[in-house]
Amino acid sequence: MAEQSNWSRVGEQPRDAVDREWEVFVRSETTDPLQHVGSVSAPTIEAARTQATALFGRYATDLWLCPAADVRRYSRTTIDERAVSIDPAKERDERGHSA
Amino acid sequence: MISISKLLCGLDAEGDGLRYDAAGESAKPQITDHKQRRPVVVWNLTKQCNLSCSHCYAAADTETADGELTTEEGRRVLDDLADYGVPVVLFSGGEPLVRDDLPELIEYADASGIRPVLSTNGTLVTPDIARELREAGLKYAGISVDGLPERNDAFRGRDGAFDAAVRGIRACLDAGLKTGLRYTITERNAADLPAVVALLHDEGVDRFCFYHLDYGGRGAGIVDADLSPEEKRAAVKQLCDLTRRYHDHDDEIETLLVGNYADAAYLVEYAREHLSEARAERIDDYLRRNGGDPTGERVADIDYQGNVHLTQFWQNYSLGNVRDRPFSALWDDESNPLLRALRSREQRLSGRCADCQYQNICRGASRLRALAVHDDPFAPDPQCYLREDEIAPTV
Ligand code: SF4
Repeated sequence: MAEQSNWSRVGEQPRDAVDREWEVFVRSETTDPLQHVGSVSAPTIEAARTQATALFGRYATDLWLCPAADVRRYSRTTIDERAVSIDPAKERDERGHSA
Repeated sequence: MISISKLLCGLDAEGDGLRYDAAGESAKPQITDHKQRRPVVVWNLTKQCNLSCSHCYAAADTETADGELTTEEGRRVLDDLADYGVPVVLFSGGEPLVRDDLPELIEYADASGIRPVLSTNGTLVTPDIARELREAGLKYAGISVDGLPERNDAFRGRDGAFDAAVRGIRACLDAGLKTGLRYTITERNAADLPAVVALLHDEGVDRFCFYHLDYGGRGAGIVDADLSPEEKRAAVKQLCDLTRRYHDHDDEIETLLVGNYADAAYLVEYAREHLSEARAERIDDYLRRNGGDPTGERVADIDYQGNVHLTQFWQNYSLGNVRDRPFSALWDDESNPLLRALRSREQRLSGRCADCQYQNICRGASRLRALAVHDDPFAPDPQCYLREDEIAPTV
């Protein structure tokens, strides 16, 4: 299946070296999709929220924060040298399906 | 970047007026087509540094960071930047010379039609390294010195750093590299400024870049070390006077200001007071074409782990990461409301910037300082030193 091929798991390399990195998502109207708008560096979730609202509060009715280190990223185009390609056949086997 | 020497003394130095827009200096056809459209990209190659400067925006230290971009990833990033039409990549750090692959990346950038330039503390530059960098295609080295020896060494956290930087400057000049000074003005070193210019001018340096302190990285911790707006005005006036004195003696030094576009407004006021109304108008005209503060438009930053920032100083917010998405895609994505707002900030600037007569040549100066002090990226820059009567709209 084409949609299952050519995926890599982006390497779990840190994206922060000073503070923790937090991915920021906003929605401007309740009818809008949630949008990723980058990330902020902050030592705590509270500090991350303060920063993110200073930058995006005026454009958002919803604002979500997620530790960047907890995001699993899969891509077909990453330049990450440590990305691990996904083998769909192997994954199916591991789920207990026949190939 | 604002060239005092060009504006006040008419010096026609290489690439002048297109500092962050140095598109015309690249050989690649699409770059000249998109002149001034694409940003100059600062690339912090590594977090590691052999010094520990108190104002370091990259908060560098003695260790590399986990997950720094590899040589191969760096090449892929440069491919994207070249295709996008980025005119200049400024290799920075940390201290970029701690990476062994620096010459290789410089060579790759140069071959891709990007103008490679370097920002270094100079202390690791030997004659052999300077020659190697030059042969790799490096076009310019900016070396940081922040005061006379004692003060510089205290600031940089290492005895002998001043002498080592001067040795680095000599090595670059001897290798035939265009070399300039980078000097971050703070309350502690403003008084040293003329003496440092004199000293380095004797060494053969003729290009001096003065940086205002921005409030990112370790710089954020030393907001108190920044000059007051009045002191800042005095320091910039001193630089204007100094530049004119050198030029009056046929010493055509090049002096540039970085990091506070209120300087643009001040230079017009300075020319009006010390030169002529006609000259002030010409300067105003020139600066209008230059476009004001370049944050999020004509300057960008990629950090050592691949995060893309709005300027090299604005490290605690990232648009995204080049391992996930090419720089060009991130930079073009104006569905990001902050990026979109910064690019049309004229409608959003508040307070004294909202009606300032110099708004179109300054654009509110540093949005990062506004954010750091007022928690609002569209509030006035706390380091604007123009008087109310100067910024009042003309009728
Ligand atoms: S008031 Fe604002 S726009 Fe005017 S010179 Fe100062 S910082 Fe620039």
